[in-house]
Amino acid sequence: MSLIFRKLARNNPRNIITDAQLLVISCRKLSIVPSIYDGEDPAPKFFSSNVQVLLKRLTRPDFNKVFRKRTNQGLVVLKTPTYKFLTNEELEEEIAKANERADRLLQMPPVVKIQQHIEDVLSKDPALVGYDTAKYIFTDITFGVANEHRFIVERDPDGYLRSCDHDVRKRLNQVYFPLLGRKLREPVMFTDLEKFNSLLDREQYEFVLDRACVQYEPDEPSYQKVTSMTYQHIDNKSKYELLRSTRHFGPLVFYLTWHQTMDKLMLELLQSGAVREAVLLTALRQDIHGDVANGDVARTLAQQILPTPVQLTKPEILTEEDIQLDSKCLECIEKYIVSNSSMKSQQELALQGFREYYQQLVDLSRGLQKAHGKQ
Amino acid sequence: MSTKILTLGNILSRPINFLLKQNNVTSNLKTNFSTTPVACVNFFNKLPAEKLWKSVTSVSNAGAKKGRGRGAGRIRIRDLNRGQMIGVGRINMLWPGLSAPVIRGRELLKQQRLPDDQERLEKLIKIRDSMTKFRRLKLSPIERGWSGTKMPGRSLGPPDPIGEDEFVGFDTKVLQLRSLLIMKGNLGRTRNFQAMVVTGNGQGLAGFGFGKAKEAPAALRKAKNRSGQKLMHFEIYNGHTIYHDFYTAFGKTKIFVQKKNEGYGLVCHRAIKEICQAIGIKDLRAKVEGSNNLQHIVKAFFIGLLQQRTHQQLAEEKKLHLVEYKAENEYFPKVVASPSEVRTKDQIQKNETLDFTQYVMNDKVILKKKKFPRFYETMPHYKIYLKKYEKFRNHEKIRLNLKVEYGEVKSFLNDKYPEKAESEA
Repeated sequence: MSLIFRKLARNNPRNIITDAQLLVISCRKLSIVPSIYDGEDPAPKFFSSNVQVLLKRLTRPDFNKVFRKRTNQGLVVLKTPTYKFLTNEELEEEIAKANERADRLLQMPPVVKIQQHIEDVLSKDPALVGYDTAKYIFTDITFGVANEHRFIVERDPDGYLRSCDHDVRKRLNQVYFPLLGRKLREPVMFTDLEKFNSLLDREQYEFVLDRACVQYEPDEPSYQKVTSMTYQHIDNKSKYELLRSTRHFGPLVFYLTWHQTMDKLMLELLQSGAVREAVLLTALRQDIHGDVANGDVARTLAQQILPTPVQLTKPEILTEEDIQLDSKCLECIEKYIVSNSSMKSQQELALQGFREYYQQLVDLSRGLQKAHGKQ
Repeated sequence: MSTKILTLGNILSRPINFLLKQNNVTSNLKTNFSTTPVACVNFFNKLPAEKLWKSVTSVSNAGAKKGRGRGAGRIRIRDLNRGQMIGVGRINMLWPGLSAPVIRGRELLKQQRLPDDQERLEKLIKIRDSMTKFRRLKLSPIERGWSGTKMPGRSLGPPDPIGEDEFVGFDTKVLQLRSLLIMKGNLGRTRNFQAMVVTGNGQGLAGFGFGKAKEAPAALRKAKNRSGQKLMHFEIYNGHTIYHDFYTAFGKTKIFVQKKNEGYGLVCHRAIKEICQAIGIKDLRAKVEGSNNLQHIVKAFFIGLLQQRTHQQLAEEKKLHLVEYKAENEYFPKVVASPSEVRTKDQIQKNETLDFTQYVMNDKVILKKKKFPRFYETMPHYKIYLKKYEKFRNHEKIRLNLKVEYGEVKSFLNDKYPEKAESEA
């Protein structure tokens, strides 16, 4: 980007761009600026059932990836598999149970507004001023109280008794009730920007996001900064496939849609031929912002798409209903591109490519049905 | 010039009788010479070396049968000519044309005596001694078998091609090589060699064979080629293990074989390990009980492998879905085989074995012996040890964490009290 500007500057003597300006422009284009949810509260939108359903569907859960081998569970050798003989009904029950477990594994980390400072003076005792040079902190360690409702107060040397702020609360909660994997000090991979960027460059997105979930609370500024930088890195490189079938894909899509930068994801969906998911993404934007030209059409289409099975691979044979639904989706997307998209030409090209491919598929499946003697 | 003049002067100064003495040399030659022949004959120069050596090393026929003249105390024939050259001897002479070139550079070499080589005899003795010692054949660790230079466990390469059909990718391993004694009417007790080998391509094809011959190499060759003729195909589950646990027996030998997950390895008898490697099985556990007869173990294991049923066969037999649960996949029910027609719950009889392991073991239950505590665990000192080291149980983790945090083992107190850290160091 900066190269083009430099050329312009050389060719046109009237165009005065100093080197400092150039640097600013290039930096803004290349670097990632962390952003936090500090304006409107995203929680009501994120937790609304419509959005949750859409986000879960966009995750495109593939059970082979959801239930993949993650670790050896601390064992030197993997455990021996077990086998069972099952009837049809028992198998269905087992699969239903597995679906529940998949839901648990794919439960999305919440997207909420950033936390506010706690400034709550409980009492002011001038008699205690200068009693000690140190702060006194009192923690209620009653068993069974949730960490966020735990009673933690501090007595300052100036005689004030006040509730502790979030960082102190987190530290004390971790001291008395340690969470597995959470460290008292922030891990170096989050504090050292160089190390963090090297992780992102190595595309260890899932590791970064998983660790952030363990280390931070969802309303902490550090969590939102780390995740937003990761999401932007993924978006820049279009590596959405790495997060599909994981619990982090929903928040990623939500982040992109919330900041109106989901057009690259839309392009990827169109290029991979997932038109139905593109419609779902449009419906999501309509639900969050309500600025899509044919938003209601997208919403009704989304209601039709949701009961259909998830398309993990490209379909080989199409039924008439599929063709009808897909052609409606195509129309919807076309309108979206014309009215709302910020990457019009590229998306139109991708859509055109998909249309040609789809037409071939339609001809093939209709021909096959004819050959088989079906109407 | 001056030296020449000096020598001349010397001669001139000598007395004349010096010159006279020189003429008397001829008289000395006559003294001790005789021309009569002397008989210097003993068996050392009468008999050739071959016969002399035989007289030392030979063992009687009866003795050879008993194994005399073999092993560590055996006398070996030495080649005394080794390390010797014509023209080189005890007196170190230069013989132009024999032990040296006639012309070196532009100079014509002359016959002359050189200083004696002190180490010549020592070297010769060393060479001769090296022939007497019993030297064990050294094998590279890759070629080595189960034990030393013994044949069992060693590789023989693929069986010989038959016509134009070659055994590509096959490798043969020796399982057993032993000598058998047979009584014959006219020869008495004679020795025969018997070999048992297994050959396979590591992709499901394998076979074993026996060979008998008078010599060990011939027996091995026969066994190798015969095993190539008796190949069997075995299904391998996911390219690494067997389909299910099984029990197999041959004679008094019983083998319990267990299916294992990837990375477990082959934990079994060494012969079973070689067979598995020939077939291409990578993970399995086998316990041999009863007789340790090697041929029986091999036969029993092959029979057991052949009697395996694939998952599809098991599902068809039971008319039920066969579902696999793996801990590393969070026990996701993976259907590995489905029958063409599935029974309902009412069609399953009450006394039917539904447990997979029990079914594939043909209702045989393995006796699992109780594990006793280690001998020291019941002793009082072990309790003391546990109490004493309880407080150190987390120190390793803490040290690691400190290294992560500070790059060395130190705490936040080190900055506050540097003098303490210095005194400790």
